[in-house]
Amino acid sequence: MEIIEDPMIRELKETVKNIRETSIKNLEKLLQRVGESFEDNDIEFYIAETGEEANNIIYDIVKDEKTIAKSKSNTLTEINLVKFLEKKGLEVIETDLGDRIIQLTNDKPIHPTAPALHFNMEEIADTINEKLKVKVDANPEDIMNTIKSDVLRKLEDVNVGITGANAVAAYDGSIVMVHNEGNIGLLSLKDTHIVVFGIDKLVSTLEDAISVAKLETVYATGSRVPSYIGVVSGPSKTADIQKILLKNMYGASRVVAIALDNGRRKAPPECLWCIGCGTCITSCPIYNVVGYDFGYKGYLGGRGVAFTNFIEGERASFDAGIYMCTLCSRCTTKCPLEVPIADIIEEVRCKVQRAGYKLDAHENIKRNIKETGTPFR
Amino acid sequence: MDLIYFRGCMGRERVPEIVRATRQILDHAGVSYSILEDEECCGSVLLRTGFREDAKEKINENLNLFSDSRLLVSCAGCYRTFKIDYPRLFNVKVDVIHSSHLFYQLLEAGEIQIKGDLKVTYHDPCHLGRHCGEYDAPRKVLEAIGTLVEMEDHHMNAQCCGAGGGVKSAYPHIAEKVAQERIKQALNTGADILCTTCPFCKYNLKSHRIKVMDISEIIANLMGVPRSTKIN
Ligand code: SF4
Ligand code: SF4
Repeated sequence: MEIIEDPMIRELKETVKNIRETSIKNLEKLLQRVGESFEDNDIEFYIAETGEEANNIIYDIVKDEKTIAKSKSNTLTEINLVKFLEKKGLEVIETDLGDRIIQLTNDKPIHPTAPALHFNMEEIADTINEKLKVKVDANPEDIMNTIKSDVLRKLEDVNVGITGANAVAAYDGSIVMVHNEGNIGLLSLKDTHIVVFGIDKLVSTLEDAISVAKLETVYATGSRVPSYIGVVSGPSKTADIQKILLKNMYGASRVVAIALDNGRRKAPPECLWCIGCGTCITSCPIYNVVGYDFGYKGYLGGRGVAFTNFIEGERASFDAGIYMCTLCSRCTTKCPLEVPIADIIEEVRCKVQRAGYKLDAHENIKRNIKETGTPFR
Repeated sequence: MDLIYFRGCMGRERVPEIVRATRQILDHAGVSYSILEDEECCGSVLLRTGFREDAKEKINENLNLFSDSRLLVSCAGCYRTFKIDYPRLFNVKVDVIHSSHLFYQLLEAGEIQIKGDLKVTYHDPCHLGRHCGEYDAPRKVLEAIGTLVEMEDHHMNAQCCGAGGGVKSAYPHIAEKVAQERIKQALNTGADILCTTCPFCKYNLKSHRIKVMDISEIIANLMGVPRSTKIN
């Protein structure tokens, strides 16, 4: 039996649907509430209207650092954090294995968003040998171990870890992060832990947030649970010595949460129900033949292309392939949230078209219909 | 009530064999209907490619043309547009029936009698299946004709033919690649015929590896001599 047919998972799906719909409906309230909860929990909190604002907030915190480290996060990719910090002279270490491989191969002429999956083993080994001045054989374990020890060595001197979040509980002030490699655990134990999340990641309670994280894992990986679901609800602290509160025991002394709008409030609610499981991408007939060209940065497939419109505007969603979708709705029938992707794309196309981004083929058809009543003449 | 057979742009200009077969069946079964000589676009292709205002103009014109008639369509795109978009945009209800549904009714009523031993697989057009929930009528017709074998992905999970949403006109090579994936699934069934109920799908799935037919063509082929000839 496929895991999504499991009665418990079906029930979870209904629960999460309800959670997401309600959360997006009450987004403003949750946003206000999470500020209060974070304050109670001693988490610094910012709302960034744009990616630039988020980057500047982060820079202000890390400007005295030489090297910082981050995890894989679509939100961090969205705001171009790495490029931004590198321009300011900081070194940014990717801790996710795939991302680190891409980072090391960066100057090779490859597609900017292609994952390490697209390299063959020899290419990866060659790059690592060249960049890290080592001699590893082209086998996955050696590659993994070499990168692991290199990253761990670098992490010793790193004081700031930056991650995304999978869900944020507004009433509890808790941040939920899903990972399998364990890297997010390491990053959250640095002196300062910065979390950047889209405002659409908000839910009411920690239980809700865990439900979202679990369902996302099921749909994304086919496993019931990931290796790790991390919850951060404040800095590391102890009062073991005469009830005197001390911070920075093993974990972070400073936790900073940044909620990013960057156009999300302009998106229709259904577009924000998404939990990022990627099912719409793998089930899309267009993505399956076109690949990464049907998407923008980490936001792939139809939902990603539509979402791009709200965070980057008409031009970006045009470039991302807004006209490549056949509006077949296969994605929607597979999506645990039943996000009506084709409807959203149709809506976005109207905006994109009005802004002047259209294709000759469609323009001709429109003209023909106007003049002769048929698309073909 | 009047029945208008709305042929659709694809039927009128790209795959006239579907219109021919459909009319043959209607005549055979003694269904009275009319054809609009000045039929124009239903608005679907405009709606799908971001030209909503132009589509609304067209739809307005059409609504005047149809008055209260019932519409019969061969195209899944026309069907979805009349059934979902006209009401959504103009708050009107259009009485529309897809040909596969009418064929099923005629079959049930004994107005057409067909038998065959074909092995057929059925491609659900996205606009008929997922968008409008019409999965059964075409299948029941095919089961009456012979053996229906399902592809790996069918009903709600059916793969797209690749033509919809303006993709065929703007990105023909992508539409072609998607079609090939679907053809592979059809070939895997071992069926003699890949049947569909949408001219866009038929046009895009056209292949030298398997015979692709609209449901109307299969029926018309098996029907043989028109009833009027028999009576004389
Ligand atoms: S829209 Fe896509 S990524 Fe988002 S929840 Fe649905 S299937 Fe998952
Ligand atoms: S509707 Fe568009 S995005 Fe969704 S599966 Fe079909 S082609 Fe892909």
